[in-house]
Amino acid sequence: MGLLAVGTPLEWPEAKKVAGHVREWGIEQLLAIWRRAKGKERDALLWGDEIEYLVVCYDDEHRKVRLSLRQMDILDALASDQDLLKAGGGVPDVQRGAPKEGDTAPVFHAEFGRFMLEATPGKPWGIGFKDLLDVEPNMKLRRKIAKEHMADTEFPITLTTFPRLGQKDCTDPAYPVSGPKLRSQFLPDEIANPHVRFPTLAANIRWRRGRKVELNVPVFRDEKTPWPFKDPTVNYDLHNWPEDDDVRNGAAKENCIYMDAMAFGMGSCCLQITFQAKNIEEGRKMYDQLSPLGPILLALTAATPVYKGFLADTDVRWNQISRAVDDRTPEELGEQPLKNDRWRIPKSRYASNSTYISRDPRLRKEYLDPDLVVDEKLKQRLLDGGMDDLLATHFAHLFIRDPIVVFSEDLKELDLDKVDHFENLQSTNWQHMRFKPPPPGNNTGWRVEFRPMEIQITDFENAAFSIFIVLITRAILSFDLNFYIPIPRVTENMETAHARDAVLNSKFYFRKNPFPERPERPTSNSSASGTSTPSPISRPDTPLGPVEDEYELMTVNEIINGSASGFPGLIPLVESYLNSMNVDVETRCELATYLDLIRKRADGTLWSGAKWMRHFVRNHQEYKQDSVVTEGIEFDIVRAAERIAREEGRDGFGFEMLGHKR
Amino acid sequence: MRLVLSTSNIMGGSSIISRAAAEKSNTELVSSLRANFHSVQRSHEQQKQTNGNGTHTNGSISIPYKAWTRQEGTDLYIPTADFEHSGLAEERSQYDITVKLFYLPNIPPSKRCAHTREAIELVLKELHVSSIDLLIISFPGISFDADDEEYSDIDEEDSGIVDGEGDDVGGVDDIDTMATTWRTLEALHDEGIIGKLGLAEFGSQRLSRLLAKTRVRPTVDQINVRDCCVVPKQLILFAKQEGIELLTHNDCTNILPRGTLRELLGPGETGAGVLAGREAGGEGLKGDVEPQWVVKYTAVVKNRGVVENKGYFAAAELHEC
Repeated sequence: MGLLAVGTPLEWPEAKKVAGHVREWGIEQLLAIWRRAKGKERDALLWGDEIEYLVVCYDDEHRKVRLSLRQMDILDALASDQDLLKAGGGVPDVQRGAPKEGDTAPVFHAEFGRFMLEATPGKPWGIGFKDLLDVEPNMKLRRKIAKEHMADTEFPITLTTFPRLGQKDCTDPAYPVSGPKLRSQFLPDEIANPHVRFPTLAANIRWRRGRKVELNVPVFRDEKTPWPFKDPTVNYDLHNWPEDDDVRNGAAKENCIYMDAMAFGMGSCCLQITFQAKNIEEGRKMYDQLSPLGPILLALTAATPVYKGFLADTDVRWNQISRAVDDRTPEELGEQPLKNDRWRIPKSRYASNSTYISRDPRLRKEYLDPDLVVDEKLKQRLLDGGMDDLLATHFAHLFIRDPIVVFSEDLKELDLDKVDHFENLQSTNWQHMRFKPPPPGNNTGWRVEFRPMEIQITDFENAAFSIFIVLITRAILSFDLNFYIPIPRVTENMETAHARDAVLNSKFYFRKNPFPERPERPTSNSSASGTSTPSPISRPDTPLGPVEDEYELMTVNEIINGSASGFPGLIPLVESYLNSMNVDVETRCELATYLDLIRKRADGTLWSGAKWMRHFVRNHQEYKQDSVVTEGIEFDIVRAAERIAREEGRDGFGFEMLGHKR
Repeated sequence: MRLVLSTSNIMGGSSIISRAAAEKSNTELVSSLRANFHSVQRSHEQQKQTNGNGTHTNGSISIPYKAWTRQEGTDLYIPTADFEHSGLAEERSQYDITVKLFYLPNIPPSKRCAHTREAIELVLKELHVSSIDLLIISFPGISFDADDEEYSDIDEEDSGIVDGEGDDVGGVDDIDTMATTWRTLEALHDEGIIGKLGLAEFGSQRLSRLLAKTRVRPTVDQINVRDCCVVPKQLILFAKQEGIELLTHNDCTNILPRGTLRELLGPGETGAGVLAGREAGGEGLKGDVEPQWVVKYTAVVKNRGVVENKGYFAAAELHEC
């Protein structure tokens, strides 16, 4: 998240008045970028990964671990480290060195949580297979550098969530809860990044919504879990803010862990990958084809079994983030008849995708969401500006939202060389894929971001999943693969991915045959992979069957490893791609260990992080079979994560997740 | 008569994926040839039907081979090769083009010079280019064996192991024969048609002996991917010292045995109906087929890692009886 814009943020009632204005200017800026960059061609594959850390602080004497809120001090230390700057690294929002020809040191960024740190490579990766071998060492270097700029008691940890976030005494330093911005009964306002953007974001989401955000995660029912379960940490007698009524009005649901602030979601760590496409059409294709893979990779990377000191009955973070930033009003949610708002909106602004955008002739009308909400006026403006219907629909869908944080200084004049108003909406639509136009002022191309994956405890795993996704994109483009299923099915899959052990036990809608129709005529065998915009592929002559016959329910194992008679499997597809490339033995051997991890996570030989952690909790001596994760258990989980990140199972600890081989 | 079999671009066809069950690594060649035959046959079939002068068949292909193949002199192209519409989408400099040529067992090494030129010429014609970046050659019968390499310094010529394909198992060339073959490649290199030269399945000893006899040195040695994590140190060090890159592949040595080819072209369920059955009657060609060489080509968009075009040509002699 960029920190660049500063100024005076408007409070919600003021921001609301100018929302239409910001949207219109955002659309004009979008049209300007699109006109400038729609003909941009032949950009190389460049890609980057983002690793997010929780910064924890140990109190060994009391077997206690807290979140460190020293984000700004750590970033300052990183930004003023002369050696790091000299090597090209630093903190881009404050100060960084110039990227080098060869190795460039990593760079660090602030995140929403004041206990978070994000690290990215100092410059993007290419497709050179030797680049792929640099990813894991670079991730490890980032962790090492991060640690070197922390206090002795502090550590960067890659758990998705802090196990007891929202319980008493979970931060260092401690602050009182129930501040004016979050109005949370569990977390202090100081939990958020102090930059004015972040508290404003949290406050205005709450304000727009008319009450606090509401996260209810089903609790894991163990042998001695009191049932029905009523979250014992909820305080029904607080009277500091009008929002304290929320819980008295039933915000905390039975048999659920209840949370009430943006930080419970946006404080989660993710593993995100961004690719540069060769041109806009390839970007649109990658966006569409990666979209159905999102829920599968969410289930496969599951690592979130604990919330606010309780074992949850789900394995992933996704829906919690979704609810943590859900700014929809009761009218938009469908709880009250539409009177002041413009439409009912089925999803939070953080949710799975609702659009396909490629001009691929294989995209059938039936795959699109028939109930998609779009701002018709803005769509018309885009169409009038020359944009095609699919892309105009996509952006007009994103632009049904209000801008949440508006700086009064930015409303004076429209600058078409900037993208601030466009990004205001674009970057607060957190879908599982993001289609990113080239930023102004440099040579970057059209990009696609793959956002559903959960951060893994070790950099070995994080490298494995990052590289797997890179290889999948190459296989998609090389084989012209087709993963289309109706987009509402992708949404359903996203829900399915939440179930405990979904990676092993759940079934997901997935396309049966990913291969394109072989061209009927012997003369039309030239591939479209290199042609300019748009590619002239003629629709196959054979009539298309019912869409429902194109996909079926599959396990993650079948999707990843293939089944004898059905889907070929993503790993065999990647292997087949690699067999068509000149790959040196050392690289291939290394890639084999990554693919092996993914293969075994999918077939159940190796455990997901969520399963391992749940098992760790349930077998802990302090655990009383009542779903409660105590301070002592939390301390040991965090210590365990730190140890596993260091040893990667070589000492036998965590081998259920990682295997023995490394 | 010479038979020239082609797959056209196999990227995007399902035949490229060898399923877990299918272990044989020549599956890709055979199934993509079959898929290409089938698709060309089908389009001719459809044409016939739309013209209204064809007999409808229930699923099985009944059109005569002459309809979907083309004879040029003594060459029969199976299927009709259409070099007009092939080629690459972007300019030549965007691509890395790798070609792998498989010399087949029991074919006299004296023919390799001609075979090499034929094979390369077809690839250049198919891709509409005037040069390739890397040519890797695969000699019949040799197969890298990590264990041999590690523990013995016995004469490698005796330890050549052939993939158990059944028929056509020939001997292994001696080093002088290989060196003679290599001179053909050096000539093509000198002519600017081939950028770099490479080998497949060479252990360090065989490699060092061949190196002594080369003028243009190989820069690549391909090892089967199943061995890539157990490549002996000796070979790694030797390759590094000699500036040879060790790459992986997934091809079997005997890529197109005679029996496989006969089945592919023959009559019956799985055949293409180019060859006549053993019984009298039928309109297919009669005689024995003998595979001569197989060539695989791959064009990769360099800075994007996208395989845009990949395919095979295979040549066989038909000895009419």
